[in-house]
Amino acid sequence: MIKIVKRDQPSRAIFFFTPVLAIFLTLVAGGLIFFILGFKPFEALKFFFIVPIADKYGFSELLLKATPLCLIAIGLSFCFKSNNWNIGAEGQLTFGAIVSGGVALLFYEQEGFYILPIVILAGAIGGMLYASIPAILKTYFNTNEILVSLMLVYVSKLILDYLVVGPWSNPEGFNFPETRQFSDSAKLPLLFEGLRIHAGIFLALAAVVISWFVFYKTYLGFQMKVSGFSLKTAKYAGYKGKKMIILVFLISGACAGLAGVGEITGPIGQLHREISPDYGFTAIIVAFLGRLHPVGIIFASLVVAITYLGAETAQIFMQIPKYTGQVFQGMILFFLLASDYLLFFKIKFIGLKK
Amino acid sequence: MNTNLKISNVTKIYPGCVANDNVSLEFNSGKIYALLGENGAGKSTLVKILSGVIIPDEGKIYLNENNLKLNSPLDAKKNDIGMVFQHFNLFETLSVFENLIIDSDEQRESLREKIDTIMKKYNFSIDLDIPILNLSAGQKQKVEIIRCLIRNPKVLIMDEPTSVLTEQETSELFLSLKKFSEEGILIIYITHKLKEVMQLCDEVAVMRRGKLVSVSEIKNENIESLANKMVGQNLKTIKKKKAKTSSDQLIKITNLNFTSEDPFETNLIDINFSVNRGECLGIAGISGNGQSELFQVLSGEIISEKNSIEFNNNYIGDLNPQERREYLMAFSPEDRLEQAAIPQMKIFENVALNNFKSSNFFNNGLINENKIKEHSKKIISDFNVNTDNIELKSQFLSGGNLQKLIIGRELITSPDLLICFNPTWGLDVGAINYIHETLIKINEQNKSIILISTDTDELLKLSDKISVIHKGKLSKIMNAEEVTSEKLGILMGGAN
Repeated sequence: MIKIVKRDQPSRAIFFFTPVLAIFLTLVAGGLIFFILGFKPFEALKFFFIVPIADKYGFSELLLKATPLCLIAIGLSFCFKSNNWNIGAEGQLTFGAIVSGGVALLFYEQEGFYILPIVILAGAIGGMLYASIPAILKTYFNTNEILVSLMLVYVSKLILDYLVVGPWSNPEGFNFPETRQFSDSAKLPLLFEGLRIHAGIFLALAAVVISWFVFYKTYLGFQMKVSGFSLKTAKYAGYKGKKMIILVFLISGACAGLAGVGEITGPIGQLHREISPDYGFTAIIVAFLGRLHPVGIIFASLVVAITYLGAETAQIFMQIPKYTGQVFQGMILFFLLASDYLLFFKIKFIGLKK
Repeated sequence: MNTNLKISNVTKIYPGCVANDNVSLEFNSGKIYALLGENGAGKSTLVKILSGVIIPDEGKIYLNENNLKLNSPLDAKKNDIGMVFQHFNLFETLSVFENLIIDSDEQRESLREKIDTIMKKYNFSIDLDIPILNLSAGQKQKVEIIRCLIRNPKVLIMDEPTSVLTEQETSELFLSLKKFSEEGILIIYITHKLKEVMQLCDEVAVMRRGKLVSVSEIKNENIESLANKMVGQNLKTIKKKKAKTSSDQLIKITNLNFTSEDPFETNLIDINFSVNRGECLGIAGISGNGQSELFQVLSGEIISEKNSIEFNNNYIGDLNPQERREYLMAFSPEDRLEQAAIPQMKIFENVALNNFKSSNFFNNGLINENKIKEHSKKIISDFNVNTDNIELKSQFLSGGNLQKLIIGRELITSPDLLICFNPTWGLDVGAINYIHETLIKINEQNKSIILISTDTDELLKLSDKISVIHKGKLSKIMNAEEVTSEKLGILMGGAN
C-alpha cells in the first residue's frame, strides 16, 4: 500500500532534486509524444537537445538565447521571492526595447562611444517605468498585479506595432514594418568573429552577481525579504513595505528592459514587430526552475534555452512545428510544480495490512 | 430518554505528536461535562473526532451502544451530535434566518416556527431578519446554538465558548446550558478556564499531552487541584508586589484620535492616558473594540499627530516603530506568526527585525550576520528559549518559545516602556508563568508596561492601573486594587 505522509520539514535535498526530476520527466514525456507522432523518440530527443549545441555556433546560439532568459529571471526572482506576481516581464522587455530603440534611432547617423551606454540606460529606464505601473496600482489602489502586468504586455506590443508601422518605420524601407538599422555605435559588440554571441551576456552575469549580493548580504535585501513574507511585519519593524514592493518591481522591470536592449542592439539591430519569442513569459519558468536562486537561474536559463534551439533544429530536420519548443517549456513547468509536491509530502510504501 | 456517549480507545497521531493517546471516556445525559486541558493537550482533536471533522487512527465512538462511523461533520449531525465551534461559522452579510436555513432541509415556514419556539423556550431574543454583522458576539453564539437545537441534538459540544463573551453574556450562556442539560441534552464543555469549570460543570475530565489524566466530580476538586492536574506540576502562584508609587511620568497620550477607512476596523475616540515609570497600565476589553488599532497607534504602525504622544519629554506621534525604538520603546504585537515574527525565517533573522541603532546588525547597508547571531544566542539563553539552534526556522518553535524569543528580542535593549498585546494568548501555563514573571520583573526595574489584553485574570494579576476599552473609547483609569472582574465585565459590555 502507498501512503502519503506530510513532511515535518521541507527537505533541502528534495528542494534541489525536484528541478532535475522535472527535467527528466519532461524528457520522458517528450519522448513519448515524439513516439506517438511517429518519430523515433531517442533520435528526436537527440535532434532536440544535443544536435543544436554540438558545435561552436550552436553553443554561441545557446548563450545568446540564455542571456535574456537569465537576465529577466533574475529580475523576476526579486518579485517572486517577495510575493509580488509580476508576470508582465514580456511587456517590460518590449517597452524597454521601445525606449532604447527610440534613443538609438535618434543617433542613427552618429558614431561615438557614449551612444551605447545611453541606449542601454534608456532600456533599463523604459522597463522600470513600465513595471512601475502595476507596482503603483498595487500599492496605492489595491489592484491585482497579475492582471495589470499581464494586460500591459499586450499594450506594449501594440505600441511597438504602431511605431514600427507608423512614425518610426524606415523611410527607405519599402513599407516593411521595421525601423532603420541602428548605427554600429548603438550596437552591443560581438564577442567572436562569425558568432552572434554579444556583450549582453556580461550584463546578465553582472545581474547574477549583484542580485545575489543584494538579496543575501544587504539590509535592503533583508527588508525586501521581510516585506515579501508579511507587510504587517515590515510595518511593525519600521520598514517602508510599500516602497519595497515598488522597488522589486523596478528591479524586475529594469532587468527585463535590459534584456530587450540586448535583443535589439545585439542580434536584431533595429526595431521590428517580433523582437522577442516570449522570453518574458518563458523566464517565469526559468526563475522557478532555478529555484529563484541566482546560480540556479543560470543553469535553468541554459536548459530552457535549449528548447528554443531544439525546436528550430527539429523543425528543419524533422519537420516538427517549432511550437514543440513551447510544449517542452510547458512540460518543464508542469512537472516542476507537480514534483514540488514532494517538498511537503513523502510517499511511503508500506506492506499490505491484514 | 437517556443518552450515553462512549469514546473507546481513541488514538490520533500527527507527525511528531500524539494528539490523542488511547483515550477512553464515557458521558451520560443529565450532566454537564468539562473537558479541560492546556492548549495542545488534545481536547480540540478529541471533540473534532466526535464531530466528524477528524477521523481517528484507532478507536471507536458509541452513542447509546451504537458504533458510530463519523467520516464527516454531516455524519455527526445525522447522529444528533451538535457542535458550536470557538470561531463562528456564519455568513456576516446574510440575515440570521438565511444563515439558519442554509443547512436545514425544512420548509421556510416550519423552520421559522421551530426557531420561534426554541427562542421562546430559552428566552433568546434575536431579530431573525437582520444581518449577522449587526449582532454581538454573544448573539452570534446563540445563533450557532439555535442551529444545533433545530436538529434536536442528543449531544451538544461547546468549544471554548466564552473567549469572546462578556461576563454577563457568559452567565447567560451558563443558564442556557444548564437548562439544556435538564432537558436531557448531554453537554460537553471544552475550556481551559478553571473558574468556569467550577461554576458550570458536574464532572471534569482533564487532558495533558494527548492523554486522559483524570476524570472526577467537581465537588471533589478545587481550582488549585485542577490546575495542577492540567499542568502536571505544582504551580507557583505569582503575586505582584505593589509598585512603589512613582510620579515620574513616562508616556502621555493626549486627545488621540484615529479614523479608519476600513469598515472592519474600530475608530479610536479621544484617547487620553499617562503611564508613570515602573507602572503597568492594563487595558481590558473584548477583542475587536479597538485594541489592535490602539496598539498600532502606540507602536507607530499607524502614525498620528506629533503632539498626541509624549514620551520621555519628546513628541513622537509622527515616528515609525523603528524610530520609536530609538527612544527606548519596545513592542510585542498580538499576532506572533503573522506580525511579530516570520515563521519561514530563521531565528536569528527574526531577531534582526528589532534593528535598534546600537545593535550594529546592519553596517553601511550590509548584514552583519555574526553580530546578529551572537545577539540571538544571548536572547535564547537569557530568556529560556528551548533550542540551541539559531539557524532553526521559527515555525518549528512552539508558541511559548516563540513568544519568549519575541519578548526577549524586545527586552534585550532594556527599553523604558514595553507595549504588549495579548502576550500570553494561546500559550500553555508554564510559558504564561514565565512571561508573567518577566513582565513583573520589568516593573521592578522601574520600567513601564502598557498591557493590552483580553484576559481579565492576567490584567488583574499584573496591572497597577486598569482601564477598559469599548468601541474605541477608554474608560476612566482605575487603581487595580479597586477593580474586580465583575466590574471590568460591566465596563467591557459598554455600561458605565
